[in-house]
Amino acid sequence: MFLQLLFTGFGIGAIYALVALGFVLLIRAASVVNFGQGEFAMLGAYALVIAVNMFHLPYWVGIVLSIVVMAGFGVAFAGATYWPLRNRGGLPVIISTIGASIFLENMVLVLYGPNSEQIDGLFDNPGFDIGPVFVDSQYLSIIVVATLLVALQYFIFERTLLGKKLQATSQDKEMASLLGIPVAMMILITFAYSSALGAVAGILVAPILFVSTGMAALIALKAFAANIIGGYGSIPGAILGGLALGVVETMGAGYISVPYKDAFAFLMLLMFLMVRPQGLFGEKISEKA
Amino acid sequence: MKLLEIGNLVARYGAADVLKGLTVDVDEGEIVTLLGSNGAGKSTTLRSISGLVPNITGTIKLAGQSIVGLKPEAIVRLGISHVPEGRRVFPGLTVRENIQLGASNRKGVTRRALEDEVDAMFDYFPDLKRLEHALGWTLSGGQLQMVAVARGLMAKPRLLLLDEPSLGLAPLVVQQVFRIIADIRARGTTVLLVEQNAHMALSVADRAYVLETGRLLVSGKPDELWNNPQVRAAYLGGLSAA
Repeated sequence: MFLQLLFTGFGIGAIYALVALGFVLLIRAASVVNFGQGEFAMLGAYALVIAVNMFHLPYWVGIVLSIVVMAGFGVAFAGATYWPLRNRGGLPVIISTIGASIFLENMVLVLYGPNSEQIDGLFDNPGFDIGPVFVDSQYLSIIVVATLLVALQYFIFERTLLGKKLQATSQDKEMASLLGIPVAMMILITFAYSSALGAVAGILVAPILFVSTGMAALIALKAFAANIIGGYGSIPGAILGGLALGVVETMGAGYISVPYKDAFAFLMLLMFLMVRPQGLFGEKISEKA
Repeated sequence: MKLLEIGNLVARYGAADVLKGLTVDVDEGEIVTLLGSNGAGKSTTLRSISGLVPNITGTIKLAGQSIVGLKPEAIVRLGISHVPEGRRVFPGLTVRENIQLGASNRKGVTRRALEDEVDAMFDYFPDLKRLEHALGWTLSGGQLQMVAVARGLMAKPRLLLLDEPSLGLAPLVVQQVFRIIADIRARGTTVLLVEQNAHMALSVADRAYVLETGRLLVSGKPDELWNNPQVRAAYLGGLSAA
């Protein structure tokens, strides 16, 4: 039972980690706490549902379409929420992303209706047994894809010139501009990438959860909690925080109580805020707005 | 030939005029220094040239072409490289990566050519070679200054703006920095230098401008300024023993 819960916990935790990564990248590149991050996942899942269930496109076409559309959507989102307010400090942008997330949820309600959707998993085969653990193919896919994406991101950031420019932009925008790095372009790329990451999370989680407008808020809150637990603004923190959150809530649900699943996640957040507010990898800071 | 012409420059931060009608020019191949006490507007002049001050009026021309209103990214592409106050070396990137990014203003540099240029920069700054893979935040003040200058030179600028390169450095390192500045000019790059260390600045400069609260107080060749009693008393006196 322990190993089974650990496997499931890692699967769901990988989803939180992907969305948390999107959060962190925007915090670092643009100093934006984007509360629309959960909507990126929700819209990515809806895009897949529309492509596959409505237009009966092959599953992989739906996946590619959803990711491409959501990357473009990330740029549009930046244009609407971040760009007009970029010189006004952090708070106006945060509020504008909250507004955008409410708007997007309700737009989906208006256009698509309140019924939640179901979609098949990546593979027809539901899974296989390894010893006492049933390896669900969808959870396994989540873990594999998340691992690949983290590796890809590491490669881009640490091994390519584009990655260095993105890092330079996040560390000192003014200096980056003095060197001729197109700062605005770097920030738009980050928005596109964050949105695509959210879409991947939404696509992967769609067969497990029902696809509904409610999924956005829950995923965003968990991912934000993962950031706090891992350490505000830390990339390894986002990954580990997401995984820890997934494991803790799954263990809590398995051993103690299923209805309180979400409560275990937020209990963990509260404990971190009380005992180690800087998170696993964060620096001690007295104030961060 | 005039490389940089600044005419009647007014720079505004909020309601305050930091520069109140400054006129400065720099000939190709010169080292020109801006002197003055804190708050005289020296750094603001450099920041205005590189496009970091949004509210400016007046003219700034590079080789006859106006650059007022251009973004910093565009200005560095035209050949003005700014090594700002505080060095601003990216703390989370290595020395090599910092220097590589200095070429971001030039298009079509292959990865191979870029690596070769960085290696050439290590020949020029041999002390940096062994720090190649050290992260920016681990460096000392003198090392940071070398990285910042090396990064600035990677832009292959026509005009290099240096803001307080000697600030906070040990005397021996200061001398090394000024030797490098003289050498950069000898290799054909024009330098506009902002300094509080007037003694050292005048020892390498061809001409100097002394600023006071956003206005030009006096300008001239170093020996003229040394012999100007007013300037000497106000700006050079305390440093003449240095």
